[in-house]
Amino acid sequence: MTTKKPDLNGLLFVLPAIIMFSIFTVYPFIKTFQMSFYSWDGISPIMKFIGFKNYKDILFNDPLFWKAMLNAAIITFLALTVQNLVALLLAVIIDKGVKFNKFFRTVFFIPPILSGIVVGIVWKWIYDGNYGILNAILSFIGLKEYTTAWLSNTKTALFSIAVVHMWKGFGWGFVILLAGLQTIPKELYESAAIDGADDFKQFIYITAPLMLPVFFIVSILTILGTMQIFDLVYSMTRGGPAGATEVPVTYIYKYLANNELGYATAMAVIFGLILFSLSIIQIIISRKLKKT
Amino acid sequence: MKKFFTIFCFLIFLFSCSPKKVEKGVVIWHWMTDREEVFNKLAEKYYKKTGIKVKFETYAPSDVYREKVRAAAQGKLLPDIYSPLGDLRELASFIKAGYIEDLTPYMEEGWKNLFFDNILRQNYYDKDNQWAVKEGYYGVPIDVVSIQIFYNKNLFEKAGLDPNNPPTTFEEFIEACRKLKTAGIQPFVSGFAEEWLVNVFCQSFEWQVLGEEGIIKTIKGEIKYTDPRWIKIFKLFEKMSNEKIFAEGVITMLNKDAERVFATEKAAMALNGSWGINVYKGMNPNLKYGVFLPPKLKDARYPVKIWGSSSFLNVNALSQYKKEAIDFLKWLTEEEQQILLTKETHNIPSNKNVINYIEDENLKNFASNIDKIFPTLPILEHWKVVSLKCRGLQSIILNQKTAEEVASELQKLKDEILKEQSL
Amino acid sequence: MIESKKLRISAYIILLIAAIICLFPLLWMVSSSLKPLDEIFTNMSLLPKRFYFKNYIDAWVKGKFEVYFLNSVIYTICSVFGILLISSLCGYALARLNVPFKNLIFLILIIPLIVPLPGTFVPLYVLLKKLGLLDTRIGLILCYINGGLAFGIFLLKSFFEEIPKELEEAAIIDGATSFQIYFKIMLPLVRPALATLAIFNTVSIWNEFLLALIILQNPLKMPIQRGIMMFHGTHITEYGQLMAGLTIATLPVIIIYLLMQQHIIKGITAGALKG
Repeated sequence: MTTKKPDLNGLLFVLPAIIMFSIFTVYPFIKTFQMSFYSWDGISPIMKFIGFKNYKDILFNDPLFWKAMLNAAIITFLALTVQNLVALLLAVIIDKGVKFNKFFRTVFFIPPILSGIVVGIVWKWIYDGNYGILNAILSFIGLKEYTTAWLSNTKTALFSIAVVHMWKGFGWGFVILLAGLQTIPKELYESAAIDGADDFKQFIYITAPLMLPVFFIVSILTILGTMQIFDLVYSMTRGGPAGATEVPVTYIYKYLANNELGYATAMAVIFGLILFSLSIIQIIISRKLKKT
Repeated sequence: MKKFFTIFCFLIFLFSCSPKKVEKGVVIWHWMTDREEVFNKLAEKYYKKTGIKVKFETYAPSDVYREKVRAAAQGKLLPDIYSPLGDLRELASFIKAGYIEDLTPYMEEGWKNLFFDNILRQNYYDKDNQWAVKEGYYGVPIDVVSIQIFYNKNLFEKAGLDPNNPPTTFEEFIEACRKLKTAGIQPFVSGFAEEWLVNVFCQSFEWQVLGEEGIIKTIKGEIKYTDPRWIKIFKLFEKMSNEKIFAEGVITMLNKDAERVFATEKAAMALNGSWGINVYKGMNPNLKYGVFLPPKLKDARYPVKIWGSSSFLNVNALSQYKKEAIDFLKWLTEEEQQILLTKETHNIPSNKNVINYIEDENLKNFASNIDKIFPTLPILEHWKVVSLKCRGLQSIILNQKTAEEVASELQKLKDEILKEQSL
Repeated sequence: MIESKKLRISAYIILLIAAIICLFPLLWMVSSSLKPLDEIFTNMSLLPKRFYFKNYIDAWVKGKFEVYFLNSVIYTICSVFGILLISSLCGYALARLNVPFKNLIFLILIIPLIVPLPGTFVPLYVLLKKLGLLDTRIGLILCYINGGLAFGIFLLKSFFEEIPKELEEAAIIDGATSFQIYFKIMLPLVRPALATLAIFNTVSIWNEFLLALIILQNPLKMPIQRGIMMFHGTHITEYGQLMAGLTIATLPVIIIYLLMQQHIIKGITAGALKG
């Protein structure tokens, strides 16, 4: 039903968002994009125009940038699978109804609330090669040969950071998934139970299909959030050991800290475009799935 | 509920629209959280003496401080006194953009005689410096920091080493590490996740092998990183790594973490700065330790030199209170104030006449070695090369690359950069 | 309820393990806040030797918490309110009303979500200076609101789209205006999403400090994270006071979360479907 009235109201409703956006997002975006075509140290009044040179260097002459992208991709893959499965599992259990409901829901949201500083310090302590708890536990249960300096060992460093990121991040997924689960009417489950479906079948035939839009939201947010990981890596390893945990944002930050603003912003633009394409692909896939 | 909310928010908006107060007096931005109390005390003292208000504002940690300074520079909202907290190249940018006052006339009046020359010159530009900055002094040092090797006297005794005779040569140093390892003690720790610290350790050998001449020639491209002298330096790290002297996880330790390891006696030696005295006091007041210079190499052509710097404060050239700011800095570097600072914060004073007032034994040791601080060079190596060098050293420590590999990678990058610079 | 007993027991075990893993760092933080500095890394147990409350007093005084706390509350409440209002209006319009180029507008508005530009702080600062909003509470709040819009619009549009059209159509027949439909019918139905947004934004704004630090000059306007920063200095980290400060700073967020949780109730949508 499209009458004249909804049109005007529609525009009015959208207006505040558009105004804010134009002022506070568009302008900085344009300026930042502009910076990527210059060589500038951020302080001097003169900026040297160099056209696409930054972009060329990044695309063809900077293997470290792409290694950083790969590292971020690995962590993201782990987050999409392990982190979200755990979040889903816990959300489903809570949704079904258990005792001490509120307690668990609060506890699972504590990791996201904790400041990055605490998370960094505590997990560094857990992983510490000298007096870390992880090594202590491994020795205790007889697996002493697996003890190592988790964050300093190039083989285990990236994975160790991924674990911390997932620990801190699953709370978000949990909350969104739970909110989604709770909009599914109880009656559907009840009638399925009457029809003889057990917990598993109920999940596969009722929960999963209805939750598809929520899965989609969670997965897009996971990808975007994880690819942009910064605080944890910066505070735990600074991108070390020897670049094993370097991720795009720490790499960009390094260039910013060394006053290469043009190069850094060009990297940010390329990074953004890659994420943008990933998201578009996801949106297209989800639209196709919706139609089935 | 909604009504209450709207009224509440309206009140808050009113609240937020408070008129901006213009500060009268000198505003100083700094990053030294451990000195905040003393600074405020001094500001009050100065106010009582002269009636001029001085306000210290702390922003920490240092990377946050740098962001703030940079953003403020953009908006021309820098305070009266601050520091870009960067190297000579960054300071040069600020100077050329007009944000830093040239202090040469004041220094030449006699102010410069208060300071150690090699320290003061760290914010000084030569006539033909590579950034085309006007020759002169641009910063005021308010303390001195330098880096040496701390050692735990108790742990040394345990390993059968003489606690009053720390190693002086590289051979003695390795021998000491071996003894410590036999006694089940981790020999050496430092915050090697921080590239600059790796660089500092390397530099203490660079200066011995190449001297100022050799280092400058390398930066200019006349000596390659594949030169046997450089390979010799990198091989030192190979040796140290093979002898397993480094504490577990050293490559991802921030200096803070390394300080903790030393303070809790989990390592016998630590490469750290004079600020460590204050830190260790806080973490473990019962720690018995001493300091010694980086070890001498057998066939070193040049004497041992150590890294040293200062917390410099610069004056904003656009400030309305320039004169007051400079007067305050002059006062801050006078004997009385420097004595107070040293007593309360355990940092080496920048005023050389105050050295005798230092009580702490180890601080005295640091102070006595100020002459060994290597001078700032007129040209700096490109940051990418330094970064790759440090990464390479980290790889050597991890036993992942050899000295030769690191040297050739480094030279490759250097060649590229030299080519770019000549365009 | 979970039907099979075996599944139920395994479920509880899983929940318990997850809870312990989540709680551990929090317990460590609180336990360290009650120890003096030299004990924190020497005494490894979770139980402090004695309850050293001085850290809390020092943290509150040194960190000037009474000022910063109030500021953080102001920023968080105003920003969250603004985000919820603007993004729900926008999300509803894009989901249900006839807005020209609505797909294009949607894509453009969620771009900030997808294209991260870490260098945007500096231009943002310059922009605020030009608008005369530097060092003002409003300036910071507007930045925060803007920051939360992309996610808010994204989430709410999806939730609004899932609501059955019949509800709206019934209201239109009854003569309701768009705003009335939005306010009285649609908004309550997406309460879980609103609560989720409230929580997300509360946490991120409460913990944010880099932007606040750069935009605000007057220390009296700084948020609580700035007070905490005082203990995380260049050379010395006052771990005890830092942990105490962080504990004080974390409590309000946990409380807000507890309050918001109550709004995610099942029955609402179920009731709407029937009616």
